[in-house]
Amino acid sequence: MKSNYETLLEEFSSEQIQELDGIITAYKGKEGGLIPVLEKAQELLGFLPVPIQQRIGEGLNLPLSQVYGVVTFYSFFTMKPRGRNTVRICLGTACYVRGGKKLAEDIKNNLKLKEGETTPDRRYTFESVHCLGACGLGPVIVINDNVHGRVKPDKLKNILEQYH
Amino acid sequence: MAKLKIDDLKKIKERVQAENALREGDRRVRVTVHMGTCGIAAGARSVMNTLMDEIDESKVSDVMVTTSGCMGLCSREPEITVEILGQDPIVYENVNENKMRQIFKRHILQGEIQTPFVLARGKEQA
Amino acid sequence: MKAFRSHILICGGTGCHATGSIKVKQTLAAELAKQGLSEEIRLVETGCNGFCALGPVMVTYPEGLMYVEVKSEDIPELVEEHFLKGRPLERLFYKEAATETVIPEMREIPFFSNQKLWVLKNKGLIDPEIIDEYIARDGYAGMAKALTEMTPSDIVKTMLDSGLRGRGGAGFPTGLKSKFASQTESDIKYVLCNADEGDPGAFMDRSILEADPHAVLEGMVIAAKAIGAGRGYIYCRAEYPLAIRRLSIAIEQAKEYGLMGENILDTGFSFDVEIYQGAGAFVCGEETALMTSIEGKRGTPRPRPPFPAVAGLWKKPSILNNVETLANVGQIIHKGSDWFSSIGSERSKGTKVFALTGDVNNVGLVEVPMGTTLGTIVYEIGGGIPGGKNFKAAQLGGPSGGMIPVEHLNTPVDFETVAELGAIMGSGGMIVMNEDMCPVDMARFFMDFCQDESCGKCVPCREGTKRMLEILTDICEGRGKEGDIEKLEEMAGIIKDASLCGLGQTAPNPVLSTIRYFRNEYEIHIRDKHCPAGVCASLFKSPCQNACPVGMDVPSYLALVHAGRFDDAYKVLLRTNPFPAICGRVCDHKCQSKCRRAQSDEPIAIKFIKRFITDNGLKPAVQAVPATRKEKIAVIGAGPSGLTAARDLALRGYKVTVYEELPEPGGMMRYGIPSYRLPRDIMDGEINDIRALGVEIICNTRVGREISFGKIYESFDYVYLAPGAHKSQRMGVEGEDSDGVYGGVEFLRDFNLNEEDWIGRQKSLGSRVAVIGGGNSAIDAARVAVRLGADVTILYRRTREDMPAAEEEIVAAEHEGIKIEYFVAPLSIKSEGGKVNGITCVRMKPGDFDRSGRRRPVPVEGSEFTLTVDSVISAIGQEPDPGFVPEYSGISINKWSCFDLAEGRKAETTNPKFYAGGDAVTGPWTVIGAIQAGHLAANEIDEAIRAKNGEPPWEAPAEETIDIPFEIDEDSDEQPQAAMPELDNAKRVVNFAEVELGYSIETAIKEASRCLRCDAEI
Repeated sequence: MKSNYETLLEEFSSEQIQELDGIITAYKGKEGGLIPVLEKAQELLGFLPVPIQQRIGEGLNLPLSQVYGVVTFYSFFTMKPRGRNTVRICLGTACYVRGGKKLAEDIKNNLKLKEGETTPDRRYTFESVHCLGACGLGPVIVINDNVHGRVKPDKLKNILEQYH
Repeated sequence: MAKLKIDDLKKIKERVQAENALREGDRRVRVTVHMGTCGIAAGARSVMNTLMDEIDESKVSDVMVTTSGCMGLCSREPEITVEILGQDPIVYENVNENKMRQIFKRHILQGEIQTPFVLARGKEQA
Repeated sequence: MKAFRSHILICGGTGCHATGSIKVKQTLAAELAKQGLSEEIRLVETGCNGFCALGPVMVTYPEGLMYVEVKSEDIPELVEEHFLKGRPLERLFYKEAATETVIPEMREIPFFSNQKLWVLKNKGLIDPEIIDEYIARDGYAGMAKALTEMTPSDIVKTMLDSGLRGRGGAGFPTGLKSKFASQTESDIKYVLCNADEGDPGAFMDRSILEADPHAVLEGMVIAAKAIGAGRGYIYCRAEYPLAIRRLSIAIEQAKEYGLMGENILDTGFSFDVEIYQGAGAFVCGEETALMTSIEGKRGTPRPRPPFPAVAGLWKKPSILNNVETLANVGQIIHKGSDWFSSIGSERSKGTKVFALTGDVNNVGLVEVPMGTTLGTIVYEIGGGIPGGKNFKAAQLGGPSGGMIPVEHLNTPVDFETVAELGAIMGSGGMIVMNEDMCPVDMARFFMDFCQDESCGKCVPCREGTKRMLEILTDICEGRGKEGDIEKLEEMAGIIKDASLCGLGQTAPNPVLSTIRYFRNEYEIHIRDKHCPAGVCASLFKSPCQNACPVGMDVPSYLALVHAGRFDDAYKVLLRTNPFPAICGRVCDHKCQSKCRRAQSDEPIAIKFIKRFITDNGLKPAVQAVPATRKEKIAVIGAGPSGLTAARDLALRGYKVTVYEELPEPGGMMRYGIPSYRLPRDIMDGEINDIRALGVEIICNTRVGREISFGKIYESFDYVYLAPGAHKSQRMGVEGEDSDGVYGGVEFLRDFNLNEEDWIGRQKSLGSRVAVIGGGNSAIDAARVAVRLGADVTILYRRTREDMPAAEEEIVAAEHEGIKIEYFVAPLSIKSEGGKVNGITCVRMKPGDFDRSGRRRPVPVEGSEFTLTVDSVISAIGQEPDPGFVPEYSGISINKWSCFDLAEGRKAETTNPKFYAGGDAVTGPWTVIGAIQAGHLAANEIDEAIRAKNGEPPWEAPAEETIDIPFEIDEDSDEQPQAAMPELDNAKRVVNFAEVELGYSIETAIKEASRCLRCDAEI
């Protein structure tokens, strides 16, 4: 059987794992440290597969069940690898009433995927979010960190194609 | 940075309030420096700098400085307009650094119009 | 230090960042340097200014001028013009949407001038990353006072006296929370700040954190002193990176200054704070769930008691306050509780910040005194509803809240009143919704949200929200059943009662609230499988077709025009509408108001294309059906409704006789609408087609005069009453009966009956005419009067936006030289020798909102004036004249003189032999509405007959198959609606020729190609 470290090496570099261990050490013994560690780990690695959770659990001296429970509870955490570009459509109320609903359908048709999925070429991951707080610009889509406001259906294709 | 005491808070407040006063409420005097190409060529830039220094030194916060373009009397540049709010604006001609200082101290702060430098009275035709 | 002559405050809130303010700021800094102005002009990046929809925004001081939607390309011109030459750049000023007025100064813009900035007093005025700027505006003065001059109980007392209540939604008195926590003995206590702003459509807290982070820190220190806490956490959503960054900078600076941390201000009091990033779970906005989350666990709520004030975070006494609440605290301590309680309503003090979003012109951050009316917020500050649409409701409190509908625009917004109306104040998300909002879909949306965010701990919430969502989804997708509404109400009660935390307890609120105010729309979804707002896409093919009262197949005939198949298009028109040539000219085209193309540029000109088809397509030949059925049917009134019913019944094999009082058939189409809008030969053509089906139309025959009601009663098996509404409402003013005062419809009727006399000047209105009213009849009467050579003034008591007349009619009237005076109402008519010679009026001003969402006009005292006129035409409304129906018939007539329908029926009256429809049931409405009523009546009469005879229901004969092409131009560039060619104005006012000339073939095909084909399923 492969060790946890060997499994991790299939997806991540040894430098990444070293950095992860550093994060874990920094929070070791600190009350309520799990969520900050997970946040930093995801920032570093992009996603949190079970072997990573195992390593964090062991490092912080927490059972895997608790780590897994927290990862699955908060929508911020993901266990699947993501596309190079994250397309997030805001379906907060303001965007929704301003045409966000239709826009979401258009994106799904355009990328041929459902919410939460990643295209096979890992170019896009599509997600919807509840309110980004940019309600003045609805409907809003956010690709990576770029906010596209007042997106009209006929402009969608152009916007998506800017991201490779 | 040293830790603050209560009095330090007040000092910071007074200092920064003066700096930022122009974001607040009402103004008593509006000074317009005419900065058309001709004005700048004739030295309006240094007039402006002098004015800003004077305001700085005197610590007044009720003088508002704006710029405007050429008034069409290029031969009399640099020109400035001083308008004590509620009174007719006064246009001064051929202003230089010295005249600016005098206008600031006498007219803007004390309200005495510096008649020898006056070009015109009344609403400007920008 | 250096004095600057000018400061430029550029907004650096999330909204403006998103629209490019960072680049604008960089470009501006570079340009100022290039022009040598860096030493004179200071550039400051502030937090959210609040005017998010027009970002990036910047304000220049000392002038206080506001520039909106500034792009980096604008910067060189802006710097040269404004900062070098002192000429403000007008093209970047704010322009009021409704009036197009340019307003240069920020404080003059109604969005800002109507606000009361307390919590947001620093918004857009200070650089949030420089602590000194906060201190300069009395920052940390409240904290200094609390730490040096006050005991913990003094602080608690001040908070209690101020009346401050939690701004996070529940409205619990803030002082009371502190009081409880201060009374609990413990070595460790916590002060927590809830910045997990999760309600969709709410961004108040984000804006406060971005614009004024120190205000929150100051509030926390004061609260800590009040309860004796040494540590605090700010729980902030990870989705707010900018807020987190600004907070971190603020904490660092406060610590450097000794305003946070050990021995604050040398007073011996210590308090430290840490930011905790939430990882995206809505339920963590609930206080116990939030604490569990900080402890590093799944954020599920805990039962209370014990309350957090006794055992909160890590089982220690804790108080949790929302961002906005804490931002109030410093000022309350500094200025005193009386200052705070001086504004607001009786039990809700101070101000409230709202995130005003949705279908409103000025989207942004708004702070108003508690108790400000909803109408003030939406119309004064928000600038009203864009695109000429109507306000339908405001949603308050997000997924935990509810709707406040149009009839409550006068509601003062405070904790109590909002709760009475079934919504909650919530954290301040206020989403304005227009007529295109479907309440069922909205309820489904919020239930989807709650179902998704339910933490799963309590079964009623976890499973109940899922079940409710299923029912709502079924209703939206056409699978709704009778009893669903009651089932939703029942489940809502259970979930509310049996859930542990606020999420579950409030999750059913949006459903209950929409049922309360829009039950009718739920019923229409369930019974008729129809979504009146045109949102629930499973229930219709395309929004235009859905909006049409008779369901005309708009996408198909547009596609056929696009393909050049005008004859086929004509056939499609006639399938649903017997009067397409008429409707192509006078329809109020509800279809166009729902056209999705309008989201890109302008709606398709559906009405004009319809007319084009009837002008250019070959009219299909009439195919009469032999009258084989034994039942005889009478129709009273040969207007659009009566004629439609007659045609439908004739096509089903019935013998139909139509009785008409006036000399010719057509009803309002002939005697209300003037010929310059609807040429008589066009109308005659379509009416003659109905005659050709075997329908007998007997004119000059009024029931009760030429033929008795009894005779009708005994000669026919069924009767359809469609007499219309041909009587003008009276103004109720003195002198109304003088010679020269006409009712609007009476005048139009007389004109159409005696056109030659009027044109030949045997009859005359004189040279000066006043027309009272703002509907289509008023405009029609005015435009006729102009053509008779009069100088015409329309007097209307409200605003132009409130006029019920079609916009294009108002514009045409203006073009023809008609003056329209708004906010004027008649008081009395002056006369001499019984003949009118003047009208005394009073100016009006807008008052409260009425139930239609329009402002009720109220007289301005002392503004009376008299106009000299020769005639007055009063067109303020019409009503039916049902006097020909005797009481013994058992047909019920209501107080508006309209026929009542039998319960649950669409045309049957309270006497099963009689059916009714059109204006005589609805009050004055539209041609297409009358046609719809005619269809419904014919169908119901036929159904009743067949049911009585034990026959199977009627089956429509198979229609000719017309294949509908599907071609979409890839080139979907923005391109406005094609203009309708019109008769030259000079020719218009001297004759009654048709004004609109019709599209050319090229124009029509091009216009039809703009259709986005929403009907297509890809």
